[in-house]
Amino acid sequence: MTETQGFVAGVMLALALGIYTFWPENVFASQRQKTRLDYLLERKEQLYENLRDLNFEYRAGKYPDEDFAEQRALLENETAQLLAEIEHLQQA
Amino acid sequence: MAAFGSFALLIALALAAYNLFAGTIALRLLATGQPVRISPERLADTARRAGIAGFIAVTGAAFALIWSVFNNDFSIAYIMEHSNRALPAAYKFAALWSGQEGSLVLWAWLLGTYGFVLRLTHKTDVKLYAYAGTILAAVQVFFLAVINFAAPPFSLLKGAIPDDGNGLNPLLQYPEMVIHPPMLYLGYVGFTVPFAFALGALMMRYPGEKWIKITRSWTMVTWLFLTMGIFLGMHWAYAVLGWGGYWGWDPVENASFMPWLTGTAFLHSVMMQERKGMMKSWNVWLIFSTFLLTLLGTTLTRGGLVSSVHAFAQSSIANWFYVFMGIVLAVCIFTYILQRSHLKSEQRLESLVSRESSFLFNNLVLLAACFVILWGTLFPILSEYVQGTKVTVGPPFYNRVAVPIGLFLLFLTGVGPLLPWRATSLRAIRRNFVVPSIALWSTVIVCLAVGVRPWKNGAFDAGNFYALVAFAISAGVFTAILSEFLRGAGVISRQTHRNLFAATYLLIRRNTRRYGGYIIHIGVVIVVVGLAGAAFNRSEERELALHDKLPIGPYTLECVGFTQDSNLNYNSEYALLDVYRDGKKQFQITPEKRVYLASQQPQTMVAIHSVPGWDLYVVYEGTNPDTGQPIIKAFLNPLVSWIWAGVVFMVFGTFVALVPSLTPATAALRVPATKPAPSEPALGGGH
Repeated sequence: MTETQGFVAGVMLALALGIYTFWPENVFASQRQKTRLDYLLERKEQLYENLRDLNFEYRAGKYPDEDFAEQRALLENETAQLLAEIEHLQQA
Repeated sequence: MAAFGSFALLIALALAAYNLFAGTIALRLLATGQPVRISPERLADTARRAGIAGFIAVTGAAFALIWSVFNNDFSIAYIMEHSNRALPAAYKFAALWSGQEGSLVLWAWLLGTYGFVLRLTHKTDVKLYAYAGTILAAVQVFFLAVINFAAPPFSLLKGAIPDDGNGLNPLLQYPEMVIHPPMLYLGYVGFTVPFAFALGALMMRYPGEKWIKITRSWTMVTWLFLTMGIFLGMHWAYAVLGWGGYWGWDPVENASFMPWLTGTAFLHSVMMQERKGMMKSWNVWLIFSTFLLTLLGTTLTRGGLVSSVHAFAQSSIANWFYVFMGIVLAVCIFTYILQRSHLKSEQRLESLVSRESSFLFNNLVLLAACFVILWGTLFPILSEYVQGTKVTVGPPFYNRVAVPIGLFLLFLTGVGPLLPWRATSLRAIRRNFVVPSIALWSTVIVCLAVGVRPWKNGAFDAGNFYALVAFAISAGVFTAILSEFLRGAGVISRQTHRNLFAATYLLIRRNTRRYGGYIIHIGVVIVVVGLAGAAFNRSEERELALHDKLPIGPYTLECVGFTQDSNLNYNSEYALLDVYRDGKKQFQITPEKRVYLASQQPQTMVAIHSVPGWDLYVVYEGTNPDTGQPIIKAFLNPLVSWIWAGVVFMVFGTFVALVPSLTPATAALRVPATKPAPSEPALGGGH
């Protein structure tokens, strides 16, 4: 490829990429603003996963009964508070 | 092709600059809601498209360079300096990263590729991806500016064009060198993506931790590439440099290891943020540091900051990198100060004996290791700056500090999974630690019995001591991980009435991330066992006449000839050695020494015979000029193949962790949802 051919190929590449970049499109991907409710719903999934993990590890024999009961109560309490706030926001 | 390549690089720079400029304006307009004539969404989309177009332009430039190498276009200075006509095709690809200009093109192309995938998948979270894409564009602008203005790869030779090139550095003419640098670069470059997401999430005060889930695969893939790159580099050093080892604490090796350490810390501590909303500031700074360390690594490798056997392309582009690192650090600090209220932890550490604290200790230890290595790597530069004399820090310093840190880290690898989240009672500790402790102490007894003792002739032997500790902790950690698999599989087996193997498979499928992580930890244990074998290395060196013998370990090497050979690329001379064990001939090995014709540089080709217990590693050191007889150095390196086997486990475990989990682990939930909504939100964050 000569220098001139390389230059022409470069100009053609620039044109093609420019057209691709600025081609007028009317449809764009967009998203609505994330709310606290969205966030709490995400946290709910995570807390459920934490509870499932706790139960599974208990069944696998990693927790003595007393520890399991204590840990489960803590997690359930946290989840209950979260669910209550979700309910409150959904009603509002 | 030189004109086309240069033009393509200029187009790529213009597109990256547009991406950065238009992306920044669009995000600002979206954030302020200011009414303007052009839609901010449209502007953001042109920025995204410019990023995609930029990838195509860089691909064009990389193609032009490869094309020029294959067509022996020695009018291009870079091709003349790094290739020659007789160079085999695979190594012509290696010419792309054998010099500074080419390796920067590779950097830009890989960054463009990551950006291409990121921008194509923007619908996952349009706003977060727009932030990440714009930050990525800023990094692209820097690299493309360096390529265009400081290290142009298509510069033409002045004067007569030579008929042949100088050839590729002989050290790079080895199969691993075709894949090791791209792997390492994929790892280095890849950490730009989680960095861009983390900085973007912080800039936009991303509500919640979902951005971590979005970037998890990116981070793990990047970590995998860096891991593979590091170990391929170790294997290359082992097979090519001919000193019998695989890791010499060389500055460039350290440069690749430091971001690996902080990246590993991030992969662990980020779980705390996902599960409990903790350690947010810590995680953000871990990923910022990892990115900065990848830049430092590139500076060390390509900028001529330190001298190293691996620094194949030294020059003065370091100043560009210093400025860029300064800008990145300033942006990180500024954004952190501005948005630090967004990073408040939602929960506190409840106990020092818990899974959370084990992650925290793990992070502290990894960072301590990183700091020690950073200190040792930069010490020659600092000492020269302060005292005017360059004081080099050698392997003994690193080994003295890094080995105990590494062993403590290995210990935490075993302890972590055994500790429950939140807090641990004495009962739980007794229940979970008995079996691994038995394995650990049994191994100590067995090792002492077979002669792995921390003393030799009445004196303390640090090598043997560390090997003994490594073997013992490895046994404990392996048992702990195995018991995790067996306990989990036992639950599945009872629930589904499957046999233990089917239950184990289902267990892994149900939580690929956790059990993939455990497989990686098994790989780490195997690697550590392999590394511990170095304490028992031995070597013999001798000048061998025909039929002379060299005994080493269980083998005896007999010289049955030495000869010469040549091809278009190199001349070689090698020894033919029959290897005997218990008086019977087992195999023949041929250690070799080459002299590459284009560069007139010599290169050792080590002969390695590897079995699970040890490697027989033989080096042809040349001939004695007085007698004309070959000098052979033989090493017996125990357990080296365990290192490479461990890496296979680590790679497999990462692939497992990347597979989406099948279904959640089953568990009955009975969460009471009847509590009244608290007047103050129970959970911070998400605002």
